[in-house]
Amino acid sequence: MGDRAQRPLRVAFVGKGGSGKSTIAALFARILALQGEHVVALDSDSMPGLSYALGIDVDDAPLPDDLVVAGPKSGPEWVLRPDIDPLSLIEEYSVKTPEGVRYFQFGNTRGTWGALSRGQHAWSEVVKQLPDSSWSLVGDLLGGLRQPMNGWGKYAEVVLIVTEPTTKGVMTARQLAKLTNAKWGPRNIAVVVNKVRPTDDPSAIARRINLPLAGSVPECNVIQQAELELQSPLGLPGTEDVERAVRALVETARGL
Amino acid sequence: MKIAVVGKGGVGKTSVSAVLARSLGRLGKTVVALDCDTNPNLALSLGVGEDEAQGILTMRQQVDEGEVEHALGWDDLLDRFGTDAPDGVRLGIVNRIENPEPSCPCCGLSPERLLSQANFGDAIVIGDFEAGLGSYSRVGNEKLDVTIVVIEPTPRSIDVGLRALEHARSHHQGLVLVVANKVRNAHELEMITSAVGEASVTVVPFSEAVVSADRKGTSVFDEASADDFIAPIRQLATSLN
Repeated sequence: MGDRAQRPLRVAFVGKGGSGKSTIAALFARILALQGEHVVALDSDSMPGLSYALGIDVDDAPLPDDLVVAGPKSGPEWVLRPDIDPLSLIEEYSVKTPEGVRYFQFGNTRGTWGALSRGQHAWSEVVKQLPDSSWSLVGDLLGGLRQPMNGWGKYAEVVLIVTEPTTKGVMTARQLAKLTNAKWGPRNIAVVVNKVRPTDDPSAIARRINLPLAGSVPECNVIQQAELELQSPLGLPGTEDVERAVRALVETARGL
Repeated sequence: MKIAVVGKGGVGKTSVSAVLARSLGRLGKTVVALDCDTNPNLALSLGVGEDEAQGILTMRQQVDEGEVEHALGWDDLLDRFGTDAPDGVRLGIVNRIENPEPSCPCCGLSPERLLSQANFGDAIVIGDFEAGLGSYSRVGNEKLDVTIVVIEPTPRSIDVGLRALEHARSHHQGLVLVVANKVRNAHELEMITSAVGEASVTVVPFSEAVVSADRKGTSVFDEASADDFIAPIRQLATSLN
């Protein structure tokens, strides 16, 4: 462990609702932090699951509205106030886990998916403007296709599609791959098969999606139980196999 | 009769919708299964195979591609663009997210508009909604006869379920029912029943048959040992009838 001079990784996890994106994203971010990297965990799900998975007790911590001002006529609707440095916002508004992961939340919209608040625009602007030499980014997007379609994960160089080894998962993943390529421009996209049983064949799943297999994470009752109790699964006894799998996933993602 | 099935992602809305639809089909009812998810996969759960499911054009696509004149009657859409599924169920996939360019505003085909405006006659329409409340919350007040909230025994699923219940009641979306899905024991059931209060709860146990059907991409309704999953939903279907 300790400080390793690694190029920062920028990863976004996407997938069907319930596929386990938040759990894998949390493990992924924690492993990077333990390897000595500066990591921001980006939560753009309006129903926070990543905070629970990281063991952070925040339910509703949007950015204040006055961080943004109206943008130029031809540009985005809102831009960061010129006197604000995006890095300092991460320092100020993120929540730090014991392992040093900075959790940075988009803001809980509670209920309907309406227009974004100014604080939420601020979040997007911060993420857009972070220098790519400084922080590793691990993003957890809203389940399904809407956020990926709207380019919410554009900060990512590597897009990992999390899927269960099911046909619905395969079909969703195909759709996500198509949208990502069309809307974000070329990205390194790969599949993570989650909740894998000994009888499953993750390589076959990846072949059906026609994408490389980045990793395969075993089914784990301890994680299921942790979710039941809103407990972070990080470091729990019985999750060693899962952690090993995500550690391997980190190494694979570095090579993508 | 218009029924909406709602809940958090991954709780089993689609499996419940499919078994409900096919149970009603077997009872001889005219059933329309409406896939209201922009990431549609109700076809698989109904027993339409993967290859065919992948190829089904959505109603929105067909309208956009100019295969029909615009502003066609809502009811005609389903007759013309639906797909046949087993047990006489007519499947309509409203709108898959394919292409983010804004579509024709004069059609504006969305699940919420379809359910708000179409009449559907004597058919029983089952709308399998997108995860969360976004699309469901845009259905016009008093436009639904039944709202089925699917909840699995996790705090986050219960949280979404409670918000759905509250929305359904305050917007008068018909009879409000809860399906407690993937229940493994009395403690898990208690988590759900104590949270939902007076709502009527159909208890559906955790079922390996669903896991198995999902892996194969087939309908749990056609699985051999799925009766623990199917029976409570069949009973719900009979009571709605």
